[in-house]
Amino acid sequence: MGTFLQFVVLGLGLGSIYIGLGTGLLLVHRATGIINFAQGAMAMWGAYVFAQLRVDGTLVFPIGSIEFARRPPIEVAALIGILTAFVLGLVVHYLVFRPVRHAPVLAQVVVSVAVMITIQALVVLRFGPNNIDVASILPEGSISVLGTDLPTREIIMAAIMVVLAAAVWAYLRFTRAGVATRAASENERAAVLMGFSPDRLAAVAQVVAVVLGTISVMLGSSLTGLNPDNYTLLVVPALAVLLVARMESIAVVVVAALLLGAFQSVIGLLVTKSWWPVWAQSGLDQVIPFAVVMVILFVQGKRLPSRGSLQTIRLPDVSIPKLKPVPAVILLVLGVAALSFTQGTWRFGVTTSIIVMLLALSYVVLTGYLGQISLAQGAFAGAAGFALSKMTSAWGVPFPLSLILSALVATALGMLVALPAFRIRGAQLAIITIAAALAIERFVFNNYTLSPPEGNPIADATLFGLNLGVREGRDLARISFSVMVLVIAAILVWVFIRVASGDTGRTFLAVRANERAAASSGIDVRKTKLIGFAISAFIAGIAGCLIGFSRGQLSAESFTVFAGLQVLAVAYLGGITSVGGAIVAGVLGPLGIVYTLLRGVFDLGEYYALISGLGLIITAILNPVGIAGATREQVAWVRRRLSRSGPPPSTVPDAPAPKEPSRV
Amino acid sequence: MSDKGLHTKGLTVRYGGLVANDSVTIDVDPGTVVGLIGPNGAGKTTFVDAVTGFTASAGEILLDGTRIDALPPHERRTAGLSRTWQSGELFGNLSVAENLLVAARAGGWRTLVRDIFVPRRKVSDDVVSRALEVVGLADVADTLARDLTLGQQKLVGVARALAGGAEVLLLDEPAAGLDSMESRAFAARVRSIADSGPGILLIDHDMSLVLGVCDVVTVLEFGKQIFTGTPAEARTDPTVVAAYLGAPVEASHA
Repeated sequence: MGTFLQFVVLGLGLGSIYIGLGTGLLLVHRATGIINFAQGAMAMWGAYVFAQLRVDGTLVFPIGSIEFARRPPIEVAALIGILTAFVLGLVVHYLVFRPVRHAPVLAQVVVSVAVMITIQALVVLRFGPNNIDVASILPEGSISVLGTDLPTREIIMAAIMVVLAAAVWAYLRFTRAGVATRAASENERAAVLMGFSPDRLAAVAQVVAVVLGTISVMLGSSLTGLNPDNYTLLVVPALAVLLVARMESIAVVVVAALLLGAFQSVIGLLVTKSWWPVWAQSGLDQVIPFAVVMVILFVQGKRLPSRGSLQTIRLPDVSIPKLKPVPAVILLVLGVAALSFTQGTWRFGVTTSIIVMLLALSYVVLTGYLGQISLAQGAFAGAAGFALSKMTSAWGVPFPLSLILSALVATALGMLVALPAFRIRGAQLAIITIAAALAIERFVFNNYTLSPPEGNPIADATLFGLNLGVREGRDLARISFSVMVLVIAAILVWVFIRVASGDTGRTFLAVRANERAAASSGIDVRKTKLIGFAISAFIAGIAGCLIGFSRGQLSAESFTVFAGLQVLAVAYLGGITSVGGAIVAGVLGPLGIVYTLLRGVFDLGEYYALISGLGLIITAILNPVGIAGATREQVAWVRRRLSRSGPPPSTVPDAPAPKEPSRV
Repeated sequence: MSDKGLHTKGLTVRYGGLVANDSVTIDVDPGTVVGLIGPNGAGKTTFVDAVTGFTASAGEILLDGTRIDALPPHERRTAGLSRTWQSGELFGNLSVAENLLVAARAGGWRTLVRDIFVPRRKVSDDVVSRALEVVGLADVADTLARDLTLGQQKLVGVARALAGGAEVLLLDEPAAGLDSMESRAFAARVRSIADSGPGILLIDHDMSLVLGVCDVVTVLEFGKQIFTGTPAEARTDPTVVAAYLGAPVEASHA
């Protein structure tokens, strides 16, 4: 009993961070309607600045740094950390969130994911990928309760965060600005009528949210040390807490945050017991938030408030693809040429680009055509990859069959993740899919009983005696492997075009445009979503298998949540509604052609994550149709101009780059 | 009254404490046009929502003699109960022809397999052109739905409801947005649709349209059915005139 109580109290430290992040999420959502997936990352930056000041007296900026001769005292360091958070909140609000305040939900989700990727990448660049120690602002101590020594630090932390959350509650409840903020979440005009600028209110909310989160991370990270991945992803349990509070009640956020922290801590105690099954020891703390989110969404479903009454996700237009033989052949020839004229790392880069193109294509199916936001595509790919490892090395399933069966495992998982999409959509679906992805990563991929830490070998593919393996001797990327990847990708693209241009594609677009009207036209909306998730997960699964073949073995690090998010970034960057966009995404994608260029020619490989994050922010704000969409619009624009005035082809319009109004 | 067509018995819809439809009993026989009129907020659209499955309701809904009140909306549509929406609700990013094809060809696993292995694209184009001809919009088939005027969008809505076949059509203010000439032409179209087989329930504020084209008129007020009878009877019924008819008819002449 004593140990149990100790662990409950220890969990309050984590619970305090959840209070900070959850309250901030709630405040920002109230003021802007945006669910900020970057809340954890943004709260982390100020805490890192604080921690680094105490480690070696360096004040780190995104670019450049100042070294103090002596380490500043802890109060000063803390103040600088909070000041940094303040500035960060302002900058992110005015540069990023304000421009997308009336944008479709997808753009808002993507923008906040982009901020998350960017800050996380910047933290890795500026502070390093490893854990760093954080000085404790609060004194250590313990009090004795019922004969058990309980640490006081966690209790004081929780108390501080409860008081701060109460202050936010009082602001929303009792001040005119707070009431106007709440009114703005229903109707911006109401806030204007009260004499407030909704934009100013949103800036205040954003700044308060970041400062609050930063304080909680500064306090809480002294217990564990700071780590870029873990603290960025703390937003996931905080989002679970936000949903429990139905995005409304700060009191519920506080209670749920402390309970969740305590519960995760106690689970950490229980898994060490001898009676606890070994297979369920890993990642259970991430399964809990996911389970909580699932239960909440199923119980409350449609009653969860979303901003405005009828918020449909409006997306960039889709032009229904046609299978044109000439461009198809040109592309194939280009692909074969790119593969045959390269070798080694370059050919590997081209091959990876083709694989990433498939991952992006899985987003085109699900998000571009069906309008569903999924942050779990990386997990689908990973599930297929691990299944492939089992099938090829443990069970000896022969090649094409092993590939298809493994992709079907991903398909099954995709259909499971589709179930919540029956009830919810938009940003809430994004929450549940990222929670699912994290739970799968930690509970399955990181689970040593399922995936041994020494790696999951994948046997090379052979077909009719032809060796399709990726490596042989010093050849890092054999041409037969690369051609196999190209052929598989070509088949999938061909299948996609048939589906997208057929009755199924039309049904997807109808569901994307208007679910009610689709149902009244005789479409089974649920089955349609199930089919969409199935196709998308199948494509992602094939991509995951190809990644597996290309590496020869897989580990949990092969398919992290971040890798999945990075693919979303490039998929959106390329253009999420077309095959062309997927191809661009492949070229830009992680470890692809552009990456190989950055690393090989410019020696900028470590900046890749940062550049893709920044590129995504800019795309999501300025150009929601992506690179492929913009190119298509420009080509159409030029064609219209040419056909209207009918000038000789030499007088290509010298007008400035056409800025077609993007319909979003 | 036959078994065919749409029949509701004691259809009741409650929103919290508010009774939006209080035991409404309506018969839409094949080939007839039934008008559903009443002041704003009387519960007309609620009735259509309830019958088509978009609002929970109590009471019986029968289509061709079979209870359909437990079916989800899309199954009621495939059973032959088709509706339009007051606000159009077209698939804005699809062309008019594609809007109709969505209704004419449902998706599903089998469709998916067929799409992959035996794509067939133009087979049912005649379904589309026939439905568009009925509403007189054959020339806009390739226009994006959101580029049409609201009046045209509603007509496309009617065509979409017809595409793929319908036993009963529920038209929610299809003529709002048409001028009086177009409205008269539309009345003739409604009549000819009904003459070709399906029963039609027509909601509209244009009294000359409703009273001119309908065989039977039902009047709702605060969710209650206060009158059912022929248009001629409706014109003279004191409760109907008091509740509703007087003012709008004068207004439409003003």
